[in-house]
Amino acid sequence: MKTKSHVFRRSLLDGVSFALFVSVILSIIYSPTDEDLLNLSMVSTIFLGSMLVGAFISHFLNQAGYKTFGENLFEPAYVKARAEAKPWYQTFWGWHLFLFILVLFIVGLFKTKFSMYELLDEDGFEGAKRLFKGIFSPNWQVLPAAVLNIVETIFMAFVATFLAIPFAFVLSFMAAKNIMKHPAAYALYMFIRTFLNVTRSIEALVWAIIFSVWVGIGPFAGMLALMIHSIASLTKQYSEMVETVYEGPIEGVQSCGASKLQTIWFAIVPQVVLPYISFTVYRWDINVRMATIIGLVGGGGIGTMLIKYQGQAMWPEVGTIIVVIAAVVWIMDQASAYIREALK
Amino acid sequence: MSEPILKVKNLQKTYPNGVQALKGISFDVKKGEFLVIIGLSGSGKSTLLRCLNRLHDPTGGEARFHEKDIVQLTTAAEIRSLRSKIGMIFQHFNLIPRHTVLNNVLMGKLSTTPTWKSIFGLFSDTDKAEAMKYLKLVGIADKAHIRADQLSGGQQQRVAIARALTQNPEVLLADEPVASLDPATCHTVMDYLKKVNQELGITIICNLHFLSLVRLYATRVIALKGGELVYEGDPKNIDQAWFEKIYGEGAKEVHIN
Repeated sequence: MKTKSHVFRRSLLDGVSFALFVSVILSIIYSPTDEDLLNLSMVSTIFLGSMLVGAFISHFLNQAGYKTFGENLFEPAYVKARAEAKPWYQTFWGWHLFLFILVLFIVGLFKTKFSMYELLDEDGFEGAKRLFKGIFSPNWQVLPAAVLNIVETIFMAFVATFLAIPFAFVLSFMAAKNIMKHPAAYALYMFIRTFLNVTRSIEALVWAIIFSVWVGIGPFAGMLALMIHSIASLTKQYSEMVETVYEGPIEGVQSCGASKLQTIWFAIVPQVVLPYISFTVYRWDINVRMATIIGLVGGGGIGTMLIKYQGQAMWPEVGTIIVVIAAVVWIMDQASAYIREALK
Repeated sequence: MSEPILKVKNLQKTYPNGVQALKGISFDVKKGEFLVIIGLSGSGKSTLLRCLNRLHDPTGGEARFHEKDIVQLTTAAEIRSLRSKIGMIFQHFNLIPRHTVLNNVLMGKLSTTPTWKSIFGLFSDTDKAEAMKYLKLVGIADKAHIRADQLSGGQQQRVAIARALTQNPEVLLADEPVASLDPATCHTVMDYLKKVNQELGITIICNLHFLSLVRLYATRVIALKGGELVYEGDPKNIDQAWFEKIYGEGAKEVHIN
């Protein structure tokens, strides 16, 4: 089972690296147009086909004693421990890795349209100078509005965190392996875990877009987006705490004839309550930062104000807003660190 | 002193990883006795006790408590009802560290308190009075409102005894109750167990390591080795030959005074 998954991972990595090389070589030879590259079925056929070929090549190379990068990375630990130490340039996998990173970097430069010319272009540089000059001479007339908006952002984050607590609290026990041992409970555990993972992998920014369509643009949409994201994140952190509690108090309470709920309440909750509070305070801190970003897509608060002035290129006003955001983020960061330290 | 309160017959426990902790153990426990189980670490003593109150599920045999087979209990309610009649204390006390001593002792009333009431801490006055009564019995009533983790090991074990007594159990299981205590405290805790046994008439089944303590407190002793019962009888009859049979050749007895 273990060796099987190692071969699969090796084949995947070596396949991807080979397919990358093939794609680069083909691009150089045929220099395809943008339209060619948009032909997804053709591009993916070539890429997946090369991956398959690469996996076979990797297999034969390893058979022949040339250790590929994938093999070196994923081989079982006991094999790794036995390997003799050689400088990387004397090994096959070393050159494989070197070439892989080099090609990735070069392709990356093209893809990000990296250009020294643009960076040092006089007109562009002048524009940036204007912008910085504006930002560094803030227009304090918008300060009251900025403060009002960041208060809205802070409360958005607070309400989102606060509303997430009861959901995350209840879900955390259902998402803890050591509690959900019974087969039926385990099925529920798997369902909740999967559901939370999916929820968490959708960024709060995307949730904000969804909710701004649902309930309209504004702080309410932003708050809902943060709440959904907070429930998923807090549940994961909470449940990891539940999974590390000491068994002793659980046995002690169970031996008294306690019910499942009583066992959780008396033996587990006292052990997790401080870390829970600590995680929650930190989540509020994170939510304030996220709320700023969410404002950019219409989630209300300081972010919405920022995007408004940025759109009109009113840099002194933007400067004021940046100062206010930086101050609040810094204060929240410090405060939450002190609170978490005190809770230890 | 004669009628058996617990009849264990061919009790077996195999863990999911294949380890056979109990290989068919049979013995009776008489009402009111102080039965001590001895044996090396890993001989199955702890597993045996945990099978008797279903903290672990036995995989075979039977154990009759008042003619009802413990092994056959399936529903959570049945198991809770069994546990309410069998108290237990542990090597590491297993108290709730952040709760007060009194709150810990009130855990003994969980099985007779509705879940919602217990969660809001609404234990009845009679329950509280009873908890205080047993704290007095183990001589620690003055510490009732202190957090349990502020107490010394010996004091914590006495709180654990009070917690078990508050259940009004017929049997008290003690899993290495003095193994993490210093020699002096050791005797205090064992003396309280003896008091519980003699004054309240509660049957005690206790795992112990030290033979000197066994001779001092046990009315009867059984010995386990590798998950099997190898000795049953009077503690005074354990001589050097038996000792080596139980603990392995060349083992030396350590005395604790």
